[in-house]
Amino acid sequence: MFNLSDEEILRYSRHIILTEVGGTGQQKLKDASVLVVGAGGLGSPVLLYLSAAGIGRIGVIEDDVVDVTNLQRQVIHATADIEKPKVHSASETMKQINPHIEVDVYHERLTKDNILPLIDKYDIVVDGVDNFPTRYLINDACVMKQKYLVEGGILRFMGLIMSIHGGETACYRCVFEEPPPPGTVPSCAEAGVLGAVAGVVGTLQATEVLKIVTGVGTPLFNRLLQFDAEELRFHEVNAPRNPKCPVCGDNPTITELIEYAYTCETQAPGTS
Amino acid sequence: MLSLKNDGACHGIDCLQLVVQGRPLEYHGARDVRSLLESQGEKAAYANVRINGNVLNRRDFENIPIKEGDQIDFLYFMGGGSCLI
Ligand SMILES: [Zn+2]
Repeated sequence: MFNLSDEEILRYSRHIILTEVGGTGQQKLKDASVLVVGAGGLGSPVLLYLSAAGIGRIGVIEDDVVDVTNLQRQVIHATADIEKPKVHSASETMKQINPHIEVDVYHERLTKDNILPLIDKYDIVVDGVDNFPTRYLINDACVMKQKYLVEGGILRFMGLIMSIHGGETACYRCVFEEPPPPGTVPSCAEAGVLGAVAGVVGTLQATEVLKIVTGVGTPLFNRLLQFDAEELRFHEVNAPRNPKCPVCGDNPTITELIEYAYTCETQAPGTS
Repeated sequence: MLSLKNDGACHGIDCLQLVVQGRPLEYHGARDVRSLLESQGEKAAYANVRINGNVLNRRDFENIPIKEGDQIDFLYFMGGGSCLI
């Protein structure tokens, strides 16, 4: 039996008419819970589409406030939101889009001390961060908790997407065993990013969440998709589980959560 | 992601036919991974490299040879600066 009101059935009718989704799939979306880490460049489209799609409970964790330099790509925030905590600005927009959803707001930084109990409360985690320490922390925690994780990254004109079922499919470390050497990879703040690239990657991440929840299609497991906006090309790389992976391989060396330390951050790590 | 730069016809002993990012590349440079990366522009500095499915250790790029027919993928680090230890 579906627990959807007449208004919800009408609202989601373009989903429900899809035979692969139907009322059953829409009910799964309503029953699902998703944690989005970061309400920035990637988090914005992810949160907007998950809200609109009727994911029943959406958590958003982010410690930053809205800055004018965010608005070129962080489309969940508006000019009037400058200086507001991003989690509050985001949750206001989400509730305006869809009053049927529940939004859990965490105005804090994700750390090795709070991540495990937090992700336990959700079915799926979406990575929308712009720093490697948190990215590796999320990956490792999702492997340890066998969570679904939808990875995404952007830089300049490029993007990357990978879906992970912790402990079952290849994880981020299976491909990127450890963070890049100091000084080799710039952040978006240092190297720039085309705003709409965040939209492409974040929207693909949201698509993966909706597919995983409804069971439609084949998630981007054991595959890495790279997006090149300059040439408008997607390049898919097979990425099977790596037996030498330090967190999900045959002899894991990472058995406790670690947080890589920063050496040259001029400000608190923000979101992409 | 890099745009492939074909640097001439591949008809001599000094040319390798490679598959880079899923597309054919005629390559004339020195036959090690670092030289290939450098020949393809600065963006490759952000990448891990895989040859025929095996991920390479970044520290060995200049010692790793490339040969005719190799399938080479660049796996770009994206999503944060690398100012960390
Ligand atoms: Zn792994």
